[in-house]
Amino acid sequence: MIKIDALTVQFGGIKPLDTLEAQFSAAICGLIGPNGAGKTTLLNVLSGFVKPLEGSILLNDAALLGLSPQRRVSLGLRRTFQQELVVDELTAMENIEAIADHVSADHASARREVAAALDFVGLSARRSVLGRQLNLFDRRMVEIGKTLIGRPKVILMDEPGAGLNEVETEQLRRLLIQIPSVFDTQLVLIDHDADLIASVCVETLVLDFGKRLAMGPTRAVLDDPVVRRAYLGRE
Amino acid sequence: MTEMSKAAPLPALAPPTAEITPRLRAITIVAVVGAVSVVIAFTCGGYWLSNFTQAYCMALAVLGCALLYGQLGLVSLCQWALVGVGGWVSLRFYHYVHPPFVLTILVGGIGASVIGMIWGLPALRMRGLYLALVTLMLAGAFQSLVTVISFPVGGPGFLGQVGASGNDRITMARPVFASGDTGYFLFVAVVTVLCIFLVEAHRRSKPGRAWALIRKNEQMAAASGVRIVFYKAWAFALSGFLAGVAGALLAGLFGQLDGSAFPTTTSIVIFIGTLLGGYDVWLGAFLGGVLTRFIPALLIDLNVNTNAGFMIFGAALLFALRDPLGLGGQLTLLAERLYSKFQAQRAS
Repeated sequence: MIKIDALTVQFGGIKPLDTLEAQFSAAICGLIGPNGAGKTTLLNVLSGFVKPLEGSILLNDAALLGLSPQRRVSLGLRRTFQQELVVDELTAMENIEAIADHVSADHASARREVAAALDFVGLSARRSVLGRQLNLFDRRMVEIGKTLIGRPKVILMDEPGAGLNEVETEQLRRLLIQIPSVFDTQLVLIDHDADLIASVCVETLVLDFGKRLAMGPTRAVLDDPVVRRAYLGRE
Repeated sequence: MTEMSKAAPLPALAPPTAEITPRLRAITIVAVVGAVSVVIAFTCGGYWLSNFTQAYCMALAVLGCALLYGQLGLVSLCQWALVGVGGWVSLRFYHYVHPPFVLTILVGGIGASVIGMIWGLPALRMRGLYLALVTLMLAGAFQSLVTVISFPVGGPGFLGQVGASGNDRITMARPVFASGDTGYFLFVAVVTVLCIFLVEAHRRSKPGRAWALIRKNEQMAAASGVRIVFYKAWAFALSGFLAGVAGALLAGLFGQLDGSAFPTTTSIVIFIGTLLGGYDVWLGAFLGGVLTRFIPALLIDLNVNTNAGFMIFGAALLFALRDPLGLGGQLTLLAERLYSKFQAQRAS
């Protein structure tokens, strides 16, 4: 569970996040908002790449702020980035092993977890294919596979469906729904695809200009006229 | 398998090439370097044998440079100075302790490794041109330093000098089993192979994967739990170790080293060799290193001004700009394709 309290980030005269209060407690949570709303900034604060001006963040009662990104990883925080970052020169398996090297308890559990992640994302048969030879969907699967290693507590996914077609998005949706139960973890999902968010996320936080516009059950949030006007551009 | 992947098989990809196993790679390294070395050992003598021994030392320096550039994208222009550091430390250690030659090489490597790691500290904050310039300045500083203090020649004290007369200069002895020129060349070849193995072992394991993540994106690497500073320092230490081993081997080749033998420009030539040979494969470093010594030696043999070598390297860089794989990368790709074809034919 992630609890955010009075979180403010300031870049010069701009506040990408302004006294944000939120709590992600459902198995799969959504984070939406128009461009520039502060979604990725929030993920960067959670990951330790942006230092907030004030506020606090708790990950399962452990204070996150002040910890290095690596320490946050050891506490069970994982993330993917907007742009997929699969290493071209490494195989699908090596890309996942690269994180297992640093988060798995030992060599045996690393091997086991890498095999389980490859199996889960459907890349077992192609584990020896180089990153550069994988198509976009498979590269996205590798990125997701990486987050499943080392008993993650919370996985932050920044637009995992970007660039995927409808069939692939449907495959992604079916995969995401399974993650919390199979890996005993929580998923926080950023995506511009309102249908994906609606079909996957139990509760959703809507940001607008760095402030909380709404938070609650996803369907209710997406039906909120204020949200529809700000985010979807219609009532 | 998950329910999802059973229900909806993912689209097929282009067939993968035949897998190059670590064992096959190791056999290839031994076969290629071994065959080239045996041919050189039994066909060359005197001048050319000495130059090929230096070329192999150069290959070790290029191997370190390629490690930094290929694995982390870091341009280091102080590699030849680190070779000098390795030579200095090994000579100092030899004259003080008189250890077995192999131990001298290791100490030379470790000495340059420590200095390389310290010199690599700017890399924690810098990249690209700025890092290149800082390392180039460090190479210049080393050149000035050894010009003033010179290399140890068996004298007393930390600097190991014998005074103005220089009558008591003591040279470093080669190992008993490789005291002759041919034997020493083959010994250097064996050390070169072992160093290539060391780098390959790194590239194919935990540090190599960590370097790959760092090179791709430092934030992503940090979010994967990689300790950026530690692994960058590790790369600089390994690169310095290879240069230090090269310095110790050069000291063994000549028995002593001179301050004027480590000009700053050679570090730039090493980087050019890294680009020409190809920085992503061991063969690239080997070929790049050999070429950077072979071409000047050939020019000397032909009574051509060695500065013409810079023109040749400059022209060859145009080729390197067009083809980032480099000579070694192209040859490796060709070999892998032929091997895949052979495997496919055998399977059918």
